[in-house]
Amino acid sequence: MFKRIMLRFRDMKTVSSLISGAEEQANMSGEEKPGAEHYVLSALNLDDGSARRVFEAAGIDAQQFREALKQQYVEALSSIGVSSEAIDGTPESIEPNTKLHNSQPSGQALMKSLYAIKQGDKARPLLGAHVIRVAAEMEYGVVARAFRVMGVNREQLVALANNECG
Amino acid sequence: MSEIKSLPSPDNPEEALAAVVALRHMAEQLERQAVKEAIAQGWSWSKVAEALGVSKQAAHKRHAANIAKPITKK
Repeated sequence: MFKRIMLRFRDMKTVSSLISGAEEQANMSGEEKPGAEHYVLSALNLDDGSARRVFEAAGIDAQQFREALKQQYVEALSSIGVSSEAIDGTPESIEPNTKLHNSQPSGQALMKSLYAIKQGDKARPLLGAHVIRVAAEMEYGVVARAFRVMGVNREQLVALANNECG
Repeated sequence: MSEIKSLPSPDNPEEALAAVVALRHMAEQLERQAVKEAIAQGWSWSKVAEALGVSKQAAHKRHAANIAKPITKK
């Protein structure tokens, strides 16, 4: 019983760090609300280090993921003949909204999946690797496109994340 | 910025939808930069709102928090 309470306390701390980290990553990219990609970046900064280990095992890192996020926007714009010149460079960061905590739909979907994982496994702690697993399971959207830009096989990433989660 | 020349192939809706997401992302970045520049040049919030086609309150609510910071030229 005590162990279960401690685990719940730990998970609450993880979720809190994950959300605040994702908001920080979104604001640093000049976006108001975090999307799934910002949760991935936040997971890579979590203390448990499991998300970083999954990325390492796949031969990628946070910086490459950031670059791939930019690249997939460039490629998507280029597919309709639009140059991304106007937004080249690093976007200016914006002030965090300390009153409202909200995510883009992709971020909400990711958190919903994490919650479902926790409901199905209450005996083990929530890890950054779970975030990578859920993000890698997303078939479409910015994160899936970024993984494709990096040449990362999403199914393989899910398997690596599952290994890390135990 | 060049004009939109063509849409991705109709066989590839994923690419078309990704382009929509990227355009939305680009529009948000451009809006933020443009509003900041306008305010720095002395435009009023009413004028900015009128130019954007939104209410003064909406423009202020969306951008005011970021206006205090100095503009960094690329």
